[in-house]
Amino acid sequence: MSRIEITINGNRWAGEPEAGETLMDFLRDRLHLTGTKCGCRTGNCGACKVLLDGKAVNSCTLLVKNLDGRSIVTIEGLAQGDNLHPVQHAFIETGAIQCGFCTPGMVVQSVALLQTNPRPSEEEIVAALGDNLCRCTGYVKIIQAIQRAAGLLQGDSSGQTAEGIGAAVPVIDAVSKVTGRLKYLNDLHMPGMVYGKILYSPHAHARIRSIDAGQALALPGVLAVATCFNTPQTKYNSALRFERHTIPADETIFAPVVRFVGDRVAAVAATTAKIAAQALALIKVDYELLPAVFDPEEALQPEAPEIKPGGNLVGEIKAEAGNPEEGLAASDLVFTDKFYTPRPSPLALEPHACIASYESDGQLTVWSTTQNIFGYRVILSEIFSLPQHKVRVIKPPVGGAFGGKLEMTIEPVAAALSQFCRRPVKIELTRAETFFATRTRHATVVEIKTGVRKDGTLLAQDIKVIANTGAYTSSAFNVIGAMSDKAFKQYRIPNLRYSGLPVVTNTPVAGAMRGYGSPQLVLAREVHLDRIARALKLDPVELRRRNLVRPGDVNPRNGESLGNCRPLDCLELAAKQFGWEEWQAPSLPAHKKRGIGVAVGLHGNGVYPAHADITTVTMKLNEDGTGIIYTGSQDLGQGLTTIILQIASDTLGMRLEDWSLIDADTALVPWDLGTYASRGTWVGGQAVRGCAEIIAERLKAKAGQLLNIAPEELSLSEGQIKGPSGESLRLRDVVWKMQQEDGQELIASYTQNSLFNPVSYGANFAEVEVDTEQKTVKVLRMAVAYDVGKAINPLMVEGQIEGGVQMGIGYALSEDVKLDETGRVSNASLKKYKTPKAVDMPKLDVMIVDNVEQHGKLGGKSIGECATVPVAPAIVNAVVHALGKDIDIFPIDLNVVLGQGE
Amino acid sequence: MAKKKLRLTVNGHRIEKDVEESMRLLDVLREELFLTGTKEGCGIGECGACTVVLDGKAVNSCMVLALSADGGIVETVEGLGSRSKLHPVQEAFLDHHALQCGFCTPGMLMSAKALLDENSNPSEEEIKEAISGNLCRCTGYVQIVDAIKDAAGRRNNLG
Repeated sequence: MSRIEITINGNRWAGEPEAGETLMDFLRDRLHLTGTKCGCRTGNCGACKVLLDGKAVNSCTLLVKNLDGRSIVTIEGLAQGDNLHPVQHAFIETGAIQCGFCTPGMVVQSVALLQTNPRPSEEEIVAALGDNLCRCTGYVKIIQAIQRAAGLLQGDSSGQTAEGIGAAVPVIDAVSKVTGRLKYLNDLHMPGMVYGKILYSPHAHARIRSIDAGQALALPGVLAVATCFNTPQTKYNSALRFERHTIPADETIFAPVVRFVGDRVAAVAATTAKIAAQALALIKVDYELLPAVFDPEEALQPEAPEIKPGGNLVGEIKAEAGNPEEGLAASDLVFTDKFYTPRPSPLALEPHACIASYESDGQLTVWSTTQNIFGYRVILSEIFSLPQHKVRVIKPPVGGAFGGKLEMTIEPVAAALSQFCRRPVKIELTRAETFFATRTRHATVVEIKTGVRKDGTLLAQDIKVIANTGAYTSSAFNVIGAMSDKAFKQYRIPNLRYSGLPVVTNTPVAGAMRGYGSPQLVLAREVHLDRIARALKLDPVELRRRNLVRPGDVNPRNGESLGNCRPLDCLELAAKQFGWEEWQAPSLPAHKKRGIGVAVGLHGNGVYPAHADITTVTMKLNEDGTGIIYTGSQDLGQGLTTIILQIASDTLGMRLEDWSLIDADTALVPWDLGTYASRGTWVGGQAVRGCAEIIAERLKAKAGQLLNIAPEELSLSEGQIKGPSGESLRLRDVVWKMQQEDGQELIASYTQNSLFNPVSYGANFAEVEVDTEQKTVKVLRMAVAYDVGKAINPLMVEGQIEGGVQMGIGYALSEDVKLDETGRVSNASLKKYKTPKAVDMPKLDVMIVDNVEQHGKLGGKSIGECATVPVAPAIVNAVVHALGKDIDIFPIDLNVVLGQGE
Repeated sequence: MAKKKLRLTVNGHRIEKDVEESMRLLDVLREELFLTGTKEGCGIGECGACTVVLDGKAVNSCMVLALSADGGIVETVEGLGSRSKLHPVQEAFLDHHALQCGFCTPGMLMSAKALLDENSNPSEEEIKEAISGNLCRCTGYVQIVDAIKDAAGRRNNLG
């Protein structure tokens, strides 16, 4: 190799690059400039962009040896200490940052754009973001940030003040994210750390006769090879949430009988990831091939290959209200449809990764990109026969999850390897691996039969869902159970039956993904409702208006209140904003068809009454008036930490900057059920409120004594405890007196045991243009309104909705993990999978129905999952409207809908 | 800085590494081989926390240039005992409460091991002499000396 010289962030580097060393690896591994992120390694996501002589380039596709004499600026080079670049300021102010994993690449791309085009139009911005992916924001606020940055660069001033509940506060770690300083899991390095790689089954169904790892072990640098023959065969369910959670355990670290192309067969630990990958190729596996089945309906046939003992049906989830047969018999008309929903990937921009380390005292520590730290602790303790206090699970900052990081995948593999070699073992999945070796949303077949009166009143509905859970049970019962529950909370249907049949097949494992059962149910039901409206010659909005649940309604299955449910407000508000009634098709060339569509969606707030729905928070105030919060709530980029600090600050009259947070570490924080099921704000947020209220009471009691005022007359604001006539004490003085004069620590714990599960709703309207020649669908505009109770942080609520729209567009039009005839995933790359880009986003009107939910301490309801639920059916209904053709199979494939010849 | 090939046997494993000429044996153990049981307390051979056994002799690994040990046989605290069974010296240290903070312990153990390998029945004076280069700030040495004495007995009883 020849010697080269390059300039990086103004510093000269001279040396010999390694053969094949990419600029990204050089920056991250050699120079430890980990602000540059790796989201795909194939030049398709833009997370690794840097400025090369002023031009934004993907650093993963450039070889260092070709860069002699060039100048590179990374994200670390943009800010001078605490002085941020105007683009960085703009990203923070506009709320363009959620998980932050795409942010360095986005900022770099924006800087490059504004250098050549200081006043870009929106179209030019969208074009510049052509190969930068974001999975959180829906690009809306990123585009706004670039427009804002253009203004700042021309002298506009910046500013932001409000902080409490209801304030539009950017995420609390925005500065760390926008400067590339935040350390995600892949940026961590432990002393003595080695690298793990996994060997996957190339067969859809096979028994492993033997594994010969001799040659692999002989390769210099290889420290251990783990297989089903030398690791625990403890069966577990990767979706386990808590001790004694009764869901079928059918997975092992390595399978003696592999059930899908991508099932784990073996793993290697080696001193470098490259050596580990080389060693995989040297492992010889003798397979006895078994027949396979990929389709869930086929898998239920008696002659289907048996994947699990006792048959491929995992179980049946039934729920019923009223008498569906009587309801159908009493109906004027009965409609029956059958829909097929796809298998999208949650596709967080940060690939899954973990580090496992067995320590000398017998403790297993696992750093993981997870949203389920205490659940992982239970599973790991069972697999490795360790008591729970010897298993520590830590979640560093996570670059998006969307459900895809709820179920355990690679952690026990790393732990087994670490047990062998007694070194910390890191496993980083490639982008391709995340498609087949983690989790997808369940593909479903939904049969739906509805009885209506001529006036559109829904009298009865019978829903049968066959769900493809993939090779293992995983979340089958949980997701299908959650789906059954939502069926009863959307429309007033007195006679309703739901039957869910999760089925195992020889396909990648399904699990949690944003919406957790709601997207499948709502997509099918809303497209079906539009067909009913058409048959009845009724406006689809009117049909929904007549049947949606209203405040005061109860769940017909169990009589429980639906809380302050306001889907109708969403429908009316969004319909008006959209101009639904006034809409007329413009005159266009014959091959361009316009259509509009509506859909209503919903999702829950936590897991009550299915499980104990608990978060405990501990909080203490320091003697200088600052505070520390200890919580198991896991920020995944959605901004939960920020919400927590807003609530604490609001309750105690403190500033956001007065707090630090110890979070998501099973050794340090009190128990929490996990960050999923849209329970973060509803349960975790209320826990913070409850805990802060205890602290407030104790402060007021002490201050009341000191000021000789009744505690209930005192209030907390501006770091002070204030009396009715201008009396005041500083928090720091009261805490100091409690410590030094009373011998008391101001510390409290509070457990929020959620005993109510309200429903969040959204109504979406979409206008699409279908090009029947190009066979493309463009979503032109959407008006969306959501019922979130009180918006604790409107900026973040909008961000969740915009990101949910992006994911819903994918669900309707492009996202599906596809298999070839052997069961192998055929589109395991960003290029082939096609997740929505900036250019795919419509003009978007976001509306929040801000109407307090009385059942909670905060008045706020969830938004993260609900955001995406109504999106896809609104778009599908618009496409159906445009084409005048029914569509049963999703995502929409116009080649199928229009026929190849048209 | 020029690198040269270093060959060592460390705790029974043969190692080959390209190391810089200025590297100490301590650096190779801790930074190249991640054997961090060997501690650095002074870096100038005065505290003994970095003691390892090199070709049968207890040495301060901070005072040995790595390349000067080329071809040598090194034993560190990680090589004492096995995963399931502690070395008798380690057992005796536990039984006699001969460690508190634990920072001097690896060096103490290696000095003790070198002593007992050479002299299976040392007197108290000989024990004190053997650990005279090992500083301890917690224990006052009494329980350490007792432990080494006991360890000698245990080893002899093992036959």
